[in-house]
Amino acid sequence: MKLYSFKIVLVVFLIATSVKAQALKLDKVTVTELQAKKHSVDTSAAAAILYKKGRTFFTYNEKSGFVMNHEFTYRIKIYKKEGLNWANFEVPYYVGYENLNEENLRFHDAVTYNLEGGVIVKTKLGNEGIFKTKLNDNWKMAKLSMPNVKAGSIVEFSYLLKSENLGQFPVCDFQYTIPVNYAEYKTEIPEYYIYKTILKGYIDVKTESKMEQGSVNFDNQYGQTNTMTYKQISSSYIAKDIPALKEEEYVDNVKNYQCSLHNELERTRFPGQPVKDYAITWEGVAKTIFENKDFGKELEQKDFLINDVKLILNSEDSKEERLRKIFKFVQEKMNWNKDYGYYTDKGVVKAYQERTGNVAEINFILISMLRLAGINTDPVLLSTINNGVPVYPGRTVFNYVVAMADIDGQQVLLDATHKFTTQNVLPLNTLNWTGRLIQQDGTSKEVNLLPTMPSVLNCSVVVKVDDSGKITGNLRSRKTNYEAYSYRDKYAQANADNYIEKMENLYNGIEISNYEVKNKNADLLQPVDESFSFQSVNHTEIIGKEFFINPLLFFTTNRNPFFQENRKMPVYFGYPTQKKYTINIEIPEGFEVESIPKGINLSAGDGALVFKCILEKNQNRIQIAVQSELKKSIVSAEDYSMLKDFYQKIVDKQKEKIVLKKI
Amino acid sequence: MNIKNVIIALVAVFSCTVCAQKSEYPIAAIAEELKDNANAVVRLEKTDINIASQRSMNVKTYRAITVLNQKGLSAVNGYENYDKTTTVKSIEAVVYDVFGNEIKRIKRKDFKDQSAAGEGTLFSDNRVLFLDYTPVNYPFTIVYQSEVATSNTAFIPKWYPVSEFYVSVEKSIFNISYPNNLGFKKKEINFSNFTIQKTTDTATQLSYSASNIPALKSEPYASQSLLFPRVMLGLEIFNLEGIDGNATSWIEFGKWWNSKILEGKNELSEETKNKMIALVGNEKDPIAKAKLIYNYVQQKVRYVSIQEGIGGWMPMSAKDVDRLGYGDCKALSNYTKALLEAVGVQSFYTKVYGDRYKIDIVSDFVSTQGNHIILAIPNGNNYTFLECTSQDDPFGYQANFTDDRDVLIIKPEGGEIVRTKNYEDNGNCQNSIGSYVLTEEGDLTGNIKMMSSGAQYGHKTNVEKLQPVEKEEHYKEYWDHINNLKIEKSSFSNDKEKIQFTENVQISAKNYGSVLNGKMMFVVNVYNLNSNSVKRVRNRKSPFEIQRGYLDTDEVNVALPKGYKIEFLPDNFELKGKFGECKTEVVKKEDGSLVYKRSLLVNKGVYSSAEYEDYRLFMEQISRNDNAKIILTKI
Repeated sequence: MKLYSFKIVLVVFLIATSVKAQALKLDKVTVTELQAKKHSVDTSAAAAILYKKGRTFFTYNEKSGFVMNHEFTYRIKIYKKEGLNWANFEVPYYVGYENLNEENLRFHDAVTYNLEGGVIVKTKLGNEGIFKTKLNDNWKMAKLSMPNVKAGSIVEFSYLLKSENLGQFPVCDFQYTIPVNYAEYKTEIPEYYIYKTILKGYIDVKTESKMEQGSVNFDNQYGQTNTMTYKQISSSYIAKDIPALKEEEYVDNVKNYQCSLHNELERTRFPGQPVKDYAITWEGVAKTIFENKDFGKELEQKDFLINDVKLILNSEDSKEERLRKIFKFVQEKMNWNKDYGYYTDKGVVKAYQERTGNVAEINFILISMLRLAGINTDPVLLSTINNGVPVYPGRTVFNYVVAMADIDGQQVLLDATHKFTTQNVLPLNTLNWTGRLIQQDGTSKEVNLLPTMPSVLNCSVVVKVDDSGKITGNLRSRKTNYEAYSYRDKYAQANADNYIEKMENLYNGIEISNYEVKNKNADLLQPVDESFSFQSVNHTEIIGKEFFINPLLFFTTNRNPFFQENRKMPVYFGYPTQKKYTINIEIPEGFEVESIPKGINLSAGDGALVFKCILEKNQNRIQIAVQSELKKSIVSAEDYSMLKDFYQKIVDKQKEKIVLKKI
Repeated sequence: MNIKNVIIALVAVFSCTVCAQKSEYPIAAIAEELKDNANAVVRLEKTDINIASQRSMNVKTYRAITVLNQKGLSAVNGYENYDKTTTVKSIEAVVYDVFGNEIKRIKRKDFKDQSAAGEGTLFSDNRVLFLDYTPVNYPFTIVYQSEVATSNTAFIPKWYPVSEFYVSVEKSIFNISYPNNLGFKKKEINFSNFTIQKTTDTATQLSYSASNIPALKSEPYASQSLLFPRVMLGLEIFNLEGIDGNATSWIEFGKWWNSKILEGKNELSEETKNKMIALVGNEKDPIAKAKLIYNYVQQKVRYVSIQEGIGGWMPMSAKDVDRLGYGDCKALSNYTKALLEAVGVQSFYTKVYGDRYKIDIVSDFVSTQGNHIILAIPNGNNYTFLECTSQDDPFGYQANFTDDRDVLIIKPEGGEIVRTKNYEDNGNCQNSIGSYVLTEEGDLTGNIKMMSSGAQYGHKTNVEKLQPVEKEEHYKEYWDHINNLKIEKSSFSNDKEKIQFTENVQISAKNYGSVLNGKMMFVVNVYNLNSNSVKRVRNRKSPFEIQRGYLDTDEVNVALPKGYKIEFLPDNFELKGKFGECKTEVVKKEDGSLVYKRSLLVNKGVYSSAEYEDYRLFMEQISRNDNAKIILTKI
């Protein structure tokens, strides 16, 4: 962190006049605003941000050098009681720096406006409603609770956050779960610092930048007031009438689509000093990370692993065999302490000794061991789904690192932190578009993280219906890749009874016996095979002399997961799947098949989605074969209505029943 | 390596060999029956509490736990809370492998220190020191030891030999010593099904020992509080956050609480008092006045949680709440009480366990209990209770949170245990009246009016506040058996006087009736289908409880499509038993339409484990009947 705490050696101009920092001025709250019962556009909104104004500017003192100041003012209208929580506000701030002073946060000018008898009444908040809590060694939280707030009130408050960490600005959000009428953010950055500005989301933000004269006052060691002048880049970002951000299903991370502004230090250029790069391109980002001692150096440390590699491997092992053995060894030996990051914390040597480590430590050990075994392996930086998609290059966008091995041109992604991952099967949280591979010389390239190989579920059921409508049968299923991973991740450690109970309830109250599972966690490269016998009285409907049976039995999908009429965000499925069900139904004696539904062959999105169902009658048996394929991990928002239609047709089809009739 | 490191290394090697000789808690020594259903096994838990005086208590914990798998990790409970009156004197842990060899020592400095304030708490000075250990292998054993000193003697930790489901116990020992002049007392609960021995019981000492308790499985409709053995402990002469107290009866306890905790907190400005007097005007009836005041409070204040020192017990003053317009349950109840006082209405601060599950203040054990505050207003021979943290609850509404349980009312003349309102099964109603029409293609359009009251009122009113998208989602989930469901329109009325919530919903669904080979088939019960069948439980062990019963009635007109005749109508259905009763019928009307009538009553009660399967079958029959279909044939 020392990196960003600069002391400037500059010729300082001694000018006595003090320049007053501009305050953020807002228009006065009006009676009309206070009278408003609902938001003019989004009438269901419980509250709305009428104004959000922000400003980031630099000050200077002799001890710390430049310090960043972030000042924000919010004016929020509460329309309904459900919106009252918007009168409470909290801001976390970082205090865990090693070489920098703690960040400092101060609320000020907190006022509630109410209309009482047609008159605007202001209630100011004193210190009794402001609290600071130390969350842990690294973070503090400042909280504020506005006074005298009811439905109809307008609250207004400001805070000033001072930080010596010049590496990045706090993220400035323009969009919230309530509508924002007007948001404005201004930055004034001395010419010595160049920041990369990242704007996310679908909202139109008006941006302007210009060069201006800037200056700061500071006291020197003799208590004299000095003024330093320089050129500064002044930018403003303005957005109006921003709709509320709404949650939807099958979204990777709603934050990816939230309108927000990010600033990351890209370069410094001080007079008389060489220009210093922090991050410009993905190449530059990768290089900076690579050059950090907690990355590159840690990857060079591998002597301590030589003996174990020798113990694990035989000289005649093929490359595939070596990879398999080493991955299994590291995965079993190391235990993830749930800390993210692409830098090591205690270091690989200590982590190896203690058998626990963060993501970087565990996967660096894996990489080093594979390299020792003669397999070309490199780290891949990525951002997890929870962390969001990195849109523009930046050091701080990544939070995870995995390994990519290359065996004669075949690329294999590996993550040894989780217990049930395997070759090219990573934790679901890491399947986030693309990652950045860093080679041993520090150069880098983009790699695709979205799986292309389908994960397969094959299920075959043989079932017999008796003349009372009861069904008995056997099921066999096979799951591969992510289907197997998801199963193992959830159930490999679960008690068998509990799992069976879960299945019984999931499958509409069947009774399960003779449950067996092969390869629950023995060989993760192999599929999970399950089998059981079952019986049920819930799956035949008897009406008069007729039996009605759902062809797909307990696999029937009753509900279209896409029920919303419109959609803005892409639909995220995680990984491609290929599901096959074969069901063989034997009908009871003394019955005949009155009717069976017609087959169907659906396909959408240029074959990205496929659903086929074939039904055949053969004497006293009915054969049903279903194939459901999803060839993409992500479907774009434009294709939403097609997707919704597709699933609706599937649900409709599954409602049609087999009808048996007593002879 | 310098000389100091060498010495440390030598000591480390030496101590390792020492501990290697004495292996601790090898896994092989655990009896098989203690592994059944267990995610962790308590090998030895030893709690030593020493009460030196009214203002000094020391709690030593020794807990050796074998964690069999990841899910057992939470049973380690390696944490201590602390604040201004409670300090953690020592805390450490040692980890042993499967054979009982020491593999890691965790010192105090390796414990994490963090604020214990939960989400939604504005401020709390409570902090927590906790163990953050990443296991390298399962199973393993961890020995956790701590010592905590506090001046608070108003709470003595309860002894729970079994603290969690899926955790078995080899041995658990509890010792407590106390001066004989502080009025020590105890209460044993749920001992009957467990082997627990009282090993000492004198004027200054009490000890228990429990051994070989197999793991209990968590089952639906069963609660820990009915099953788990425990001992409540208390003093008649105690200290609460720096304030001395003594109480041998609820009367004394109430007097103490009133004078030490509540006194002086109810002052209000003359201006506010006059405002209240003006608000009630000429109203004479105390309950009618209280309604006006309660409504005022609901408009004015909001709930914000603040926990600081004695402030965790003492309400924020009424004046402060008046100015700020927020507070926690203590502050808002106390504020409402002060406003009522201003208009001459008496009310009492009331301690309660606020929970969906009904928990009593243990009436024969005088001590600081409860987790929530409400307000009691005398109403005839009874009381009306006000939930002052809610801005929406109707006056006196208690269902699902403070209903049907013992509470402690704090009066100036002393405390009193009172039972709160019970919501009767047949008063927890949802009465529906509606209709639907089917077209020849099987498309449905319909509307339904659902009126909910009693406990069901509380389940429903939230719908009104949902965003349009959430509303749609709610109904699509509520009626998830209706394929292609579209919510055409919904409107609500919330009658807080009658405590009745009415939903008017118009729906449509394409292809509701499935048409195949000249026949149409559809489920006659569209609006109130009991599909959420009760889960099957293998080898159920615990008794089960239905805490609140309910009564649903439905009457729905069905207009059949033209060009069809009825081929099959479901039979009338009637099912009666100890769990309740269900009745459905389909009546043909002269104009060719049908009327579907349904009523379902579920009784509250506590039933044995063996009766659970009967209950499941009872509900399954109902849900099967709810799926009864009508078949029509094309003419």
